[in-house]
Amino acid sequence: MTFFVSSHTRAFSLPLSELLDAVSKMEKEGADSAVRICFLRNVTVEGVEPFLKFHCLAAGIRPGIIFGNYDMVLQEIMDANSPLHHNPPDMVVLSLVMEQLDPGYHSFGWRADRVISELESLFDLLADRTNALLMVNTFIPPFDGEFGVTGHDWSADTFAEITRVNRAVREYVAAHRSRFMLADWERIARLHGEDGCMDYRFWYMSKAPFKKQFLNSYAWDIARIVKALKGKAKKCLVLDCDNTLWGGVVGEDGLQGIALDRNSYPGNVFHEFQRTVLTLHERGVLIALCSKNNDEDVWEVLDRHPHSLLKREHLSAWRINWNDKATNFRELAEELNLGMDSFVFVDDNPTECELVATALPDVTVMRVPDKLYLYPRLLLKDGLFDTLTVSGEDRQRARMYQAEAQRKDAARQYDSIDQYLSSLALVATIHPATPREVARIAQLTQKTNQFNLTTRRYAEGEIARFLSREDHGVFSLTVTDKFGDSGLTGVLIAVRDGSVGRIDSLLLSCRILGRNLETVFLHRCLALLETAWGVKEWRGEYLPTRKNRQVEDFFDRMGFDLMVESESGKTYQLPVVQRVAPDITYITIEE
Amino acid sequence: MEANRLKLVMARIFGVDVSAIGDDASPDTIENWDSLRHMNLVLALEEEFGIELTDDQTVEIMSYPLIKIVLGEHGIEL
Repeated sequence: MTFFVSSHTRAFSLPLSELLDAVSKMEKEGADSAVRICFLRNVTVEGVEPFLKFHCLAAGIRPGIIFGNYDMVLQEIMDANSPLHHNPPDMVVLSLVMEQLDPGYHSFGWRADRVISELESLFDLLADRTNALLMVNTFIPPFDGEFGVTGHDWSADTFAEITRVNRAVREYVAAHRSRFMLADWERIARLHGEDGCMDYRFWYMSKAPFKKQFLNSYAWDIARIVKALKGKAKKCLVLDCDNTLWGGVVGEDGLQGIALDRNSYPGNVFHEFQRTVLTLHERGVLIALCSKNNDEDVWEVLDRHPHSLLKREHLSAWRINWNDKATNFRELAEELNLGMDSFVFVDDNPTECELVATALPDVTVMRVPDKLYLYPRLLLKDGLFDTLTVSGEDRQRARMYQAEAQRKDAARQYDSIDQYLSSLALVATIHPATPREVARIAQLTQKTNQFNLTTRRYAEGEIARFLSREDHGVFSLTVTDKFGDSGLTGVLIAVRDGSVGRIDSLLLSCRILGRNLETVFLHRCLALLETAWGVKEWRGEYLPTRKNRQVEDFFDRMGFDLMVESESGKTYQLPVVQRVAPDITYITIEE
Repeated sequence: MEANRLKLVMARIFGVDVSAIGDDASPDTIENWDSLRHMNLVLALEEEFGIELTDDQTVEIMSYPLIKIVLGEHGIEL
């Protein structure tokens, strides 16, 4: 039995007619979110649509895809009546080929200067005229240089010029990363080669230059961004130990006998795999162990093996025992306060994989490949852990979870919960969001599933726009206590509508729950906004998802009155004069 | 059998039920048969029957009977 197979890999092996058939079947099933994508292009790129639908639907996202008119990129941006403006998409994908941008391209001695400055102006214009997330492509370098085999002028042939354009595109994206994402066509061409990418027949017949391998990978890169935007990123990697983190069985082979030496096969494979685990740790993914071993054997490897890159300090939780792994998984999920669909599990044993996959179908189960040399790429190639940004909080997350474990130990020593909370010396820093906080706030709206009243996902550009508007209020909550800094872990977004203030979003990271911080945060924000806006009434909403049941009665608990209840959610109101801030003495509020 | 195979591919490419692909199927009878889906039709026929159409054939196959003739030229009898 094979376990997780990415939709990229699956689409790759399907004939086109079967792919279309699969898409039409998936479209009849439910999806938990939706995304609108608009392509602006100077080339026929509609072939990407079935692949993009397939990847989005496989992730539970229903895509609405429209294509701007052929080679009318500027017109679509400028025309107030184009679909780009009257039905604004979440994402605009620019698909541009050089042949159409510059008719002189491919002529001897072609120079890229004009195209580079035109592209930068186009990107500026697009950023100015839309609020969507923007995806732009690099260009595929020519497969034949114009100088032939001799006389190469490496600094100024067409290949070098395209490289220069691509560097400019990459630098632009990096400098505007709150709005821009890269579809790296140059990389896709490298992956599949000329034969896999270029359809010269349909290029000359219909201006459709790409074969399905290229289109699949292009769609996949777009879908990865969509999935990150819609909060589909996996958050925790759970690893078996023997024959997963190292070769062999430490309980039998001993510290010296296991394969983890980077200078010999197969130790070098496991060593490389550990390196990818550490990369994910650096990106903020939680690392946990779930292994049938004696725990001292495992700690001996992590603490003492000279080639073990993974150390105890990288771990956020572990279950090293002889219990069944599904039970261990449920405990890990509770300890880390994560939903099962946040987990990726890697094990070499098909029986264990099967057990977890069957008992917990939401867990992404990956088996160590039989072709061991494919193992080092296993975790990174499918983009399971993609987020749109990597923030300072991500890098510190593992340490924060370790502080959380200490808090739980401390909690056991107190008789009452209030006594315990008082001992924590909680400080809640609450203030209108600053530009430096925008990236983290956007990321929290994209990732938070459980304590999230409305689950509205926002890109960085949208949050930045809210900050600049008088009728929007965005607040951040940062929490510290005696065990450490939990970072920016709460967001409230409110919109003023005359004398009514509407709570658009309220969310808290699950790792700070259970301390009444949400109550303090809500009332503090409302008090600040009442002063600034002079509103008479608050409106709140609860929009149910599969994940946010824990907040279905939040507004009831906060003293709001239920106005409307339907399938799609609940609407509440609270006149400002009736709002009573509770007296919570164990939280100090700072600005 | 082979005829059903062809109609199934066409139905999937044009996003219609296989019963909508009559023996006279053409852009006149199938609304979805536009130039974009025609490209997909060419690619899907090549995949399904393991053939490569000539440049002329990619333009010629503008109806179910014409597709049958072109497949016949590749030794595939329907």
